[in-house]
Amino acid sequence: MSAQKKKAFQIEAFKHRVVVDPKYAEKTWKILEHAIHEIYNHNASGLSFEELYRNAYNMVLHKFGEKLYSGLVTTMTSHLKEISNSVEAAQGGLFLDELNRKWAEHNKAMQMIRDILMYMDRTFIPNTHKTPVHELGLNLWRDVVIHSYAIQSRLQAILFENVRRERSGEVIDRGLMRSITKMLMDLGPSVYQDDFEKHFLEVSADFYRLESQEFIESCDCGEYLKKAERRLNEEIERVSHYMDARSEVRITNVVEKEMIENHMHRLVQMENSGLVNMIVDEKYEDLGRMYCLFRRVPNGLVLVRDVMTSYIRDTGKQLVTDPERLKDPVDFVQHLLDLKDKYDKIITSAFSNDKTFQNALNSSFEYFINLTSRSPEFISLFVDDKLRKGLRGVTEEDVELVLDKVMMLFRYLQEKDIFEKYYKQHLAKRLLSGKTVSEDAERSLIVKLKTECGYQFTSKLEGMFTDMKTSQDTMQGFHASQDVDIADGPMLSVQVLTTGSWPTQPITTCNLPAEIMGICEKFRNYYLGTHTGRRLSWQTNMGTADLKATFGKGQKHELNVSTYQMCVLMLFNNTDRLSYKEIEQATEIPVSDLKRCLQSLACVKGKNVLRKEPMSKDIADTDTFLFNDKFTSKFFKVKIGTVAAQRESEPENQETRQRVEEDRKPQIEAAIVRIMKARRVLDHNNIVAEVTKQLQSRFLPNPVVIKKRIESLIEREFLERDKVHHLLTLYLFFELEKDNARLDFQLLNSEVSSRQLLYHTRELCYANASISTSSNMIYKVPSFCHSVHIEAVTGVLFRLDAGNREEYCEVVRNSIAVGFVGCRRSLVTAMPFPSSIMQSLEAVKIGTLPESWLKRRFKVGSLES
Amino acid sequence: MPPRASKRKSAPPNSSSVTSSDGRSVSNKAKTKGMDKIDRLFNTYANSSLGMIDPEGIEALCSDLGVDYTDVRILMLAWKLKAEKQGYFTQDEWQTGLKALGVDSLTKLKKALPELEKEVEEPSNYEDFYIYAFQYCLTEEKQKSVDIESICELLNLVLGVQFRPQVDSLVEYLKVQNDYKVINADQWINFLRFCKEQISFPDLENYDATQAWPLILDNFVEWMREKQS
Repeated sequence: MSAQKKKAFQIEAFKHRVVVDPKYAEKTWKILEHAIHEIYNHNASGLSFEELYRNAYNMVLHKFGEKLYSGLVTTMTSHLKEISNSVEAAQGGLFLDELNRKWAEHNKAMQMIRDILMYMDRTFIPNTHKTPVHELGLNLWRDVVIHSYAIQSRLQAILFENVRRERSGEVIDRGLMRSITKMLMDLGPSVYQDDFEKHFLEVSADFYRLESQEFIESCDCGEYLKKAERRLNEEIERVSHYMDARSEVRITNVVEKEMIENHMHRLVQMENSGLVNMIVDEKYEDLGRMYCLFRRVPNGLVLVRDVMTSYIRDTGKQLVTDPERLKDPVDFVQHLLDLKDKYDKIITSAFSNDKTFQNALNSSFEYFINLTSRSPEFISLFVDDKLRKGLRGVTEEDVELVLDKVMMLFRYLQEKDIFEKYYKQHLAKRLLSGKTVSEDAERSLIVKLKTECGYQFTSKLEGMFTDMKTSQDTMQGFHASQDVDIADGPMLSVQVLTTGSWPTQPITTCNLPAEIMGICEKFRNYYLGTHTGRRLSWQTNMGTADLKATFGKGQKHELNVSTYQMCVLMLFNNTDRLSYKEIEQATEIPVSDLKRCLQSLACVKGKNVLRKEPMSKDIADTDTFLFNDKFTSKFFKVKIGTVAAQRESEPENQETRQRVEEDRKPQIEAAIVRIMKARRVLDHNNIVAEVTKQLQSRFLPNPVVIKKRIESLIEREFLERDKVHHLLTLYLFFELEKDNARLDFQLLNSEVSSRQLLYHTRELCYANASISTSSNMIYKVPSFCHSVHIEAVTGVLFRLDAGNREEYCEVVRNSIAVGFVGCRRSLVTAMPFPSSIMQSLEAVKIGTLPESWLKRRFKVGSLES
Repeated sequence: MPPRASKRKSAPPNSSSVTSSDGRSVSNKAKTKGMDKIDRLFNTYANSSLGMIDPEGIEALCSDLGVDYTDVRILMLAWKLKAEKQGYFTQDEWQTGLKALGVDSLTKLKKALPELEKEVEEPSNYEDFYIYAFQYCLTEEKQKSVDIESICELLNLVLGVQFRPQVDSLVEYLKVQNDYKVINADQWINFLRFCKEQISFPDLENYDATQAWPLILDNFVEWMREKQS
């Protein structure tokens, strides 16, 4: 035992001869083939998968893989042929069911077969690069069943028929459809696409082509769009229910193309219901739908935008060129605002605030608002109306809202300088007549203008407010100083206005009644007593007066009249009857003003405190006026004639235009010089472009005018043509040094032309050079002794602020004291602030100064008694 | 344009320049003799109280030369002499000018005129002459422009030969338009450029009004186009 125990055993493999049964492969395959048959025949429950797996394993192991694989292919093919036949045999609606059922069976069978043949799938197939079992099953299904001639076309026809039925409103078995399309997708994307999707899209295109044709003939635009939208949603839903998600883009493209793109022009322009009608009828829903649908097709929105733009432009153009509309400026601007509101609402509510639409709207407004040259005036008139009465009793927020809207229109204006001109006039009238609703609103608008256009734009407007404030203080001081005798006599209220800040108006004088003259003199003495060296002149054309009047039967009224009217009425204190000529002589009111004021005194019903002989509407030189004893009015206070701003008459308008054109010249020239200073050499078109760019915040310069200015600068030797490319390049001739001190020196020591000096001075203003430099320049002006400097000097002065003005005046006073007698006249003419200078002048030789331009310095408006 | 400027400086022998002092040293005597003759000729026409040839003198000179005093050649002579003031030749101008022409007698001067004409027509001299013609018309102190009527005559005189159709139309236009009463130097020089710059005439197809042409030419072209259509 021990020996036995010691003997080491060696374990060896069990040696038996492997008998290769020559029929082994055949036999094994038979078993497997049988199993496959059973599987397809639903008898799989009796099969031993373990055994079958082993058999398959052994076959592969014994290098019969090839046989196994080819056997599988043959067997499966034959089964699929059977299936194919049975599917073909299915009748009508059962066809899809049968196909679906068989497909499910096939899948199940494939599952089992793959399990049995797992080993082959894992080893033999990868090594021999054959198709794996599952895929093989799919491929065979595709080739044998789906691509069988009878099935392929029938399948498509039935699928498309189902879709068609669904489109026309019938209910179909979506689950079945889903299974079938799922099958096609399982068979590979190319099968789904080639066998189904491609044809589906074609069929759909045909369908929608016909349908859209039918719709467009029978529906209006809104209805059509509704239908198109519904169809589009249906297709999207369909895809989500029983198609590949990737089909969504393709089918929606088809719908978009057939239903929208192909008809978009016709839709937009559809008579009575197209885009324009939608805008007119404010159909926000339809517009929104159109936006959403057209956004889907290339150029769709471009088309919508273009049509909208041209519509806005056309209607805008009609609006601004309609002579009826132009009669009422306030209504005109209100109409513009309403229009803007309407389009804004369309864009916000229907076009999802699309930036490109907003831009199109803005450019359209800019286009047509500038078609009429009256727009700046009218917008200013609109503001005037609002600030006079329109905003009375309105909350602060609402005021802001209105002002913001006005600013929006203002932004569209190309000629902002013209607006400024009118605004100044209207503001002056408002301030002087005390008619402004709220100073807050006034100031708020000025702040807005300042933000929009900068300090320069509003500095004079702000100066006007300052004057009003100062005048209040002055009047308080005046009344305080006048104590007792005031009570009986007329009350005077004076506004002292700084020349330059206020719109220039021709000084018109008239003979004031003696009572008024007295108090005016008192004020003059008081004012000049506190402000030596200033000059006052009365602006009688802008004042108002309250008169207490007693009529025939003792009825008393208070009459609110203009200064001119007061002068006329005061004449009737001494007499009952005056001829036109007598009135004219006594008052010396300018003819047109006198006629207007007599008309409002004698020809307006209910306010006719005078009677006219003969009775007629117009005033003739031969008329006679009588005090109207029988005047009655149910009001105690009677307001006669208004100074409300009115739209300008055509000749006045022309005149304003001309003044603006003149004002623009130096601005254009300054811009050219600024540009040329920086660029030195530039071709013509670029100069024009840059000048336009620089000035567009104020106005749009005409290229021809720019050309004229350039030529003028060439003539005055500021610019020169390039010697070689004379048409292309211009070159700044008079080179200005950046170092102003050096320049001063240079100017003094060189023979620069007067124009160059003028230019330089003006340049300094624009460049905001230091005051000492500017005033030094002016100090030197006298030595050149040319009237052209007036412009430059004035230009500088207007841009100085108060502290600098003093400094400047000091310099000028010195220069006068030094005795530049020859230039005194031009200097003084240019002075807006001559208090100290006038003194110096008087000291030198006041007698030589012509009265006419000394008078011009100050204007006093608003005279009350 | 540097070549023109230098030409203008060096061409006439200036009395103070190096060349002329050299010349004097070489043949001082001959020169002086020539100068004498030139001076004598000068004195024939000069107004003794003014010390220069005045308009009457120029008229006499013209009739002796056998040319009309409005002839372009007289203008060319003035250009050659660099006469500063219209209707007058100073002695200095006369001396340097005649010397530059290389003539010292009336007959020689007469013979030199065709030569002078050729000289002027050389492209390098022509613009100079053209500008000179304008400046020659500025008779007043600080005058910068010339009235339309004189400009028309001047155009005929200096451009008429070379650019007859252009000048005819331009003159016609200048006479009918009301925008301009005078022409300045810039406009004048651009008339020449307009003619020279191959602007196809009379259809004016390649004229571009957006370029820096003076406005008066823009207007002229517009007038022409309107007239043609």
